[in-house]
Amino acid sequence: MKLDPSFIWTAFVQILSAIPTTLYITLVSVSAGFIIGIAVALIRIYKVPFLHPLATGYVTFIRGTPMLTHLLLIYFGLPMIIDGLAAHFGWGFRSVSIPMIGFAYIAFSITAGAYMSEVVRSGLLAVDRGQMEAAHSVGMTTAQSLRRIVFPQALAAGLPNLSNSVIGMLHGSTLAFTVSVVDINAQAQIVASTNWKFFEAYLAAALIFWGLTFLIERATGLIEKRINLYNRGGVL
Amino acid sequence: MGAPFDISYIFSFLPKLLTTLGTTLLIVGFSLLAGILVGFLVALPRLYKVPVLKNLAGIYISFFRGTPILIQLFLFYYGLPEILKLVHVDVTRTPVLFFVILTYGLHTGAFMSEMIRASVTAVDRGQVEAAYAAGMTSVQAFSRIVLPQALGIAVPVFSNLVIALLKDTSLAFTLGVMEMTGKAQTLGSVSQHFIETYIALALIYLVISFTLEKLLLAAERRLLRHEVPNSPARKTFSLHRNGSYRRMIAQLGPGKGGGG
Repeated sequence: MKLDPSFIWTAFVQILSAIPTTLYITLVSVSAGFIIGIAVALIRIYKVPFLHPLATGYVTFIRGTPMLTHLLLIYFGLPMIIDGLAAHFGWGFRSVSIPMIGFAYIAFSITAGAYMSEVVRSGLLAVDRGQMEAAHSVGMTTAQSLRRIVFPQALAAGLPNLSNSVIGMLHGSTLAFTVSVVDINAQAQIVASTNWKFFEAYLAAALIFWGLTFLIERATGLIEKRINLYNRGGVL
Repeated sequence: MGAPFDISYIFSFLPKLLTTLGTTLLIVGFSLLAGILVGFLVALPRLYKVPVLKNLAGIYISFFRGTPILIQLFLFYYGLPEILKLVHVDVTRTPVLFFVILTYGLHTGAFMSEMIRASVTAVDRGQVEAAYAAGMTSVQAFSRIVLPQALGIAVPVFSNLVIALLKDTSLAFTLGVMEMTGKAQTLGSVSQHFIETYIALALIYLVISFTLEKLLLAAERRLLRHEVPNSPARKTFSLHRNGSYRRMIAQLGPGKGGGG
């Protein structure tokens, strides 16, 4: 059992093939989560009757329980619900036809939705009330002023949090191995156990994640510069 | 996909899962202690700008915040014995729990050190100068002026980190530790009532998170009782305009954005 530095590179190359899977899971959960997040945040800000307590309960539940439990609940619970309904209504669809990665997509989108709703909410609340009033005063409807005036500013204010959530979902995607999806982590496990070189393989996986995290942070930095242009002080 | 749903199982699983609550809390407690210790050790070179050590601390923080906790767990559990074997230290008989607590301690330590650094640097330099002008020594200035103000920023972040740590401990089962999640999996496979065990598991986590949050909120109020709302000291950051406070908290990433 010797340490083999050259194997880090070999493992690195073998793990590269799993990067798209990890990125798909991250991208899907972040995008779907963002849409859920906007809906939930607006429901909570405008205190929509009936939906408001549901939205609050959803956010509290998701934020108070580990991401792993969300995945396991969806993985074991969803087929039960789908097959129950299918048997009742006589659909041809069975849960068996859902691919494994589908469970990861659904579960992580639900997870991301709750965290994103907090990102959106704090972003929206950071926008000056007067902006909305000014938009109304020039004759925009509430929907228009939200879309044209408030959302862009909220996005700028919420960008650091958003970047955090994206990184969190990227790191959380490693849990997908529990439902036998081959992401970076699962691939590292395969490479490690076939070659019996655990340290090197996991180090390679860690380096890949480190690199991806760094890229997300850099991208956020650039977008932030660009998006906060309206907000700059001084002449230039 | 297991046995048909039966709600009574949820209630019978609750006490069974609670038998392993101790293990979960043990991991949280010891990791926190290790994390606070590591956090201070790593924050100091960055606060005092010690050459070389400062850069090493930066790399340490970047690594532990930039990689998933699950990868870190595997890296330490499988990798550390290999590394130690090279220097002829045999850790094959070391309990798994040691590796788990070590990993969580180092992971949380990276977040803690950033929390400590940010909350100390956030205190206005003028506060220290005013303390000196009033004739305090540097120790007095720190303990009476800087620390209470720094706590105001650190405590809410700390509370978030504790809850994030609790949720992260659910991953220890991957190394065969019998904490609550591991127990839930065993109960599920024995009884074939998976969904009921995971509902019970989620409920327990929810209650603990909620309790921790309430406890830490009470601690926060107690620690910050000297703070007058809207006093000049509280206005170090204009929350309203430039969002520097919000950005700083976001960069600390206390909630870790959901994932591990």
